[in-house]
Amino acid sequence: MNAPTDRDLILRARRGENTAYSELVTRYQTSVFNVCYRILHNYFDAEDLAQETFIRALDRLHTFDLEREFSPWVRRIAANLCLNHLEAQKPSAALDEDRDEDKTQSPAEQVEVKERSEQIRAALASLPPHYRIVIELRHYQELSYAEIAAELNIPLSDVKSHLFRARQLLAEKLHAPD
Amino acid sequence: MHLTDDQLNEYLDDESSEHDAIKTHLDSCAECAARFSALQTLFAKLDSLPDTALSTNLAARFLPDRKQIPQLPRWLTLTISLQAVGALIALALAAPFVSMLLPQAPSLTAWLFEIQTLWIAGLDAISNYQLPIAQLPTYPVEISTLFIALAIVSVFWIFGNGFLLRNQRK
Ligand SMILES: [Zn+2]
Repeated sequence: MNAPTDRDLILRARRGENTAYSELVTRYQTSVFNVCYRILHNYFDAEDLAQETFIRALDRLHTFDLEREFSPWVRRIAANLCLNHLEAQKPSAALDEDRDEDKTQSPAEQVEVKERSEQIRAALASLPPHYRIVIELRHYQELSYAEIAAELNIPLSDVKSHLFRARQLLAEKLHAPD
Repeated sequence: MHLTDDQLNEYLDDESSEHDAIKTHLDSCAECAARFSALQTLFAKLDSLPDTALSTNLAARFLPDRKQIPQLPRWLTLTISLQAVGALIALALAAPFVSMLLPQAPSLTAWLFEIQTLWIAGLDAISNYQLPIAQLPTYPVEISTLFIALAIVSVFWIFGNGFLLRNQRK
């Protein structure tokens, strides 16, 4: 027996079959969680927002276009939720930056990789929320300028200026000798 | 004229309208080529960020099926609550009449004393009871038949519980 396609699972989930929806969650939870983790840079907040993403997606499942793919759709929902989350708690955002350093239980040979990725994550977290989101959508979700503009409901010129400025800031942060 | 940052970014994003002109310039200008490769390095660093593992299973929350949980119909839940409230009110109303019907209502200690006496008498009776050994009735069924029946019942009981558990976990 073949595994059911995403499309089958979505159709069944729309009919109220929670087992079908939980199978979809199982398939995409890691990728959705990582969207949240890249943007929020806090493990526990990222878990919460990933959970919230799947709740929202279930609410909006009837609006999902079955001709498209589920994964990009749900990842865009996650990115938007995280942006809203960051903007709602702007004043304290900077304080949370190094609250999640405790999640590193890896073998010794991976420590270097871990350190390098932590450097990248910290650089991302140092960006203002609207810069972080364009980096996420362009680099990790591979949306075009026009798609980002539509997703965030901002002019194309803003997409470009945010993205290019964000890259400049990241380059300065990450340029430090490693 | 060197390339602007915007031109380099758009070129790397594959969103440039002057692709060929930029490529030609990069091939001939070391300074712009160096800026281009620095930007490429940044892209590669961002790409290299590995996914982090998730420690909890988010899917668990979406189980079990709403459809499969038998829920009492609304009207029944409402009736039961109303019945409970009605019974409490009736009890409160009846209490004074009940106490009137008991003419010499004994005090709490007298009550407890009474219960204690009964309890002790009961224990006495049990401890003094002599088992009438000779008069055990002869059972009409073979003892082995009894054991077999008991075993069958146990098997049914275990399977029944198994099914119940399975239904609950679905
Ligand atoms: Zn040049």
